[in-house]
Amino acid sequence: MISYVEALLNGILMGSIYGLAAVGLTLIFGVMKVINFAHGSVLMVGMFAAYWFVKLTGVNPYLSLFVVVPFMFFFGYFLQQFVIKPTFEAEKNVREPITVIIVTTGVWYILDNLALLLFGAEYRVVKTSVTGNIVEIFNMYFLLPKIIGFGVTVLVGIYFFWFLKYSKMGKAIRATSLDREAASLMGIKQSKIYNISFGLGCALCGVAGCILVPFYYVYPTVGVTFDIKSFIIVVLGGLGSISGAILGGIIVGVIETLGAQFMAATWTELLVYIVFLIVLFVRPSGLFGLKQDF
Amino acid sequence: MFKLLINQKPIIKIMALTILVIVFVLPLFISSPTVMQILILIVFYAYLTSCWNFVGGFAGVLPLGHAAFVGIGAYTSTALYLTYGLSPWFGMIFGGIVAAIAGIIIGLPTLRLRGAYFALATIAVGEGMRVLFENIERIGPFEIRGPKGLLINLVSGNSFSHFQFSSKYPYFYIILIMLIFVLLLTYIMMNSKVGYYLAAAGEDPEASESLGIKVSRYKLIAMILSCFFTALGGTFYAQLMLYFYPKSIFGLNLSFEIAFIALIGGRGTILGPVLGALLLRPIGEITRIYLSSSLPGLHLIIYGLILVIVMRYQPRGIIEPISKLIKKYIIDPFDKTQSGDKESTFIDNK
Repeated sequence: MISYVEALLNGILMGSIYGLAAVGLTLIFGVMKVINFAHGSVLMVGMFAAYWFVKLTGVNPYLSLFVVVPFMFFFGYFLQQFVIKPTFEAEKNVREPITVIIVTTGVWYILDNLALLLFGAEYRVVKTSVTGNIVEIFNMYFLLPKIIGFGVTVLVGIYFFWFLKYSKMGKAIRATSLDREAASLMGIKQSKIYNISFGLGCALCGVAGCILVPFYYVYPTVGVTFDIKSFIIVVLGGLGSISGAILGGIIVGVIETLGAQFMAATWTELLVYIVFLIVLFVRPSGLFGLKQDF
Repeated sequence: MFKLLINQKPIIKIMALTILVIVFVLPLFISSPTVMQILILIVFYAYLTSCWNFVGGFAGVLPLGHAAFVGIGAYTSTALYLTYGLSPWFGMIFGGIVAAIAGIIIGLPTLRLRGAYFALATIAVGEGMRVLFENIERIGPFEIRGPKGLLINLVSGNSFSHFQFSSKYPYFYIILIMLIFVLLLTYIMMNSKVGYYLAAAGEDPEASESLGIKVSRYKLIAMILSCFFTALGGTFYAQLMLYFYPKSIFGLNLSFEIAFIALIGGRGTILGPVLGALLLRPIGEITRIYLSSSLPGLHLIIYGLILVIVMRYQPRGIIEPISKLIKKYIIDPFDKTQSGDKESTFIDNK
């Protein structure tokens, strides 16, 4: 019995980090109605940024947040400005632009293989004081970096909610996602909002990257795993819904760890796809999505 | 074939026939098996992409999981061959039927989804298939061998009934004839009721639905055609390579590559997939052969760059500027009335 509770809690810990990465994807979708296929690769860039910063300066990986997150913000800002915007402008009136999906996939290929070319294919891990530390609570064992990661996720999540709800920029972002035309009539500069949303989405990947490196391997194609998981998570939660993304992340994390108690770990991957397809068929708008969105 | 040619202007007839003759004669001048292999793969990818085109090009959706059907075709025919010794030529048909049934099961719920949702659902189907086949050792009497994959035992010399040939040439002609057949079918479909309805549905599903077009039914027809022929390609691949495993045949890479060739060539046109394969496959093969050991990943960076640049400047694919050039300089060199922005595809000019 205790092992199931342990698996459940571990699933929540890991799932919250999945959710954090997926929030960035759902934010970009909510504002631009574009599925960013390069999202996993952006997370990979965030992980490598954190890895190299820690490796070169020797600081604590959690302190690298203050460098990596701004870096990732500007990375996303300029990626959108120079690569995605030109294509997006051409079909911005289409409800679900397809060409942009392809461009982001091209970006995925470029980023992943650039990392392969520059850093090679080997698996790397950041050795820190917390790596491998295990915490015991009521006879259940948890990895310390996962617990810290969960804590950071909760803090960032709360701050992000506050930001979207009350700050002027957050309000502008929400307005744009609700109605592009009306928002731009109110004097909100659309292209700037797109750039900032994209930057924020990537910055969240930076956060996820920093909290993943102390216990997760970094390698050029690490993004693919997170990419597909993020897609599943945002569809589960409803594309464009922030709280849905976090809940979706936790659901996926729990399916993975709890499922592994009953079957071989390789089967749980299939289980995630099946749950995803069922939700998609029964409720395409997801658990928290708006009905008109599918 | 004849109807297709009769409707065209003489110059197009001559061009089409010349291209056909060149393609059929070309292998006779090539002795290198590596070059032959590249040529076969170009035609093979053009074939797969043309099959994808039925759904991805005409039904206005973006399927990103077509490797699922390639895999079904390969596994069905090979399992039947290994277990019962059934000739792959018959196994191929079974594979096509199994894939078509799978296409119906998958298509019924997914084809009503919108763009991004459909794309994501098909990714999940393709990846789900890969995980499934990596995890099962056998289905009933059929050995699947999980991640180890299937190995087709080699027969000596040429054997048509075993679908195995000692030289590369027969493979080239088989896949070429398959490609021409699917291109003809595409042409017929484009100029039939189904094609017009699909074109309308692709442009504006709500409006065509309100005019009484059963959009989902026609999309399903396209899906069945696409899955059936894609599976035939799977059998061909299995017989060409004689060994395959879940990652090689159900992989996300294959699904994406099929879609990208169509998008870069020009989806929804007859010759777009062929053009896309002609551009992308040689780049892919040559950079892979010559650069992959010294500069790993470079060929995929080039790939990604082409994708970004073409989508940026020619979102409808490279067939558009090419057909314009052909029209301007070859077909109507003296036509003063023609303006540059006229939309046309090279084979549709009647």
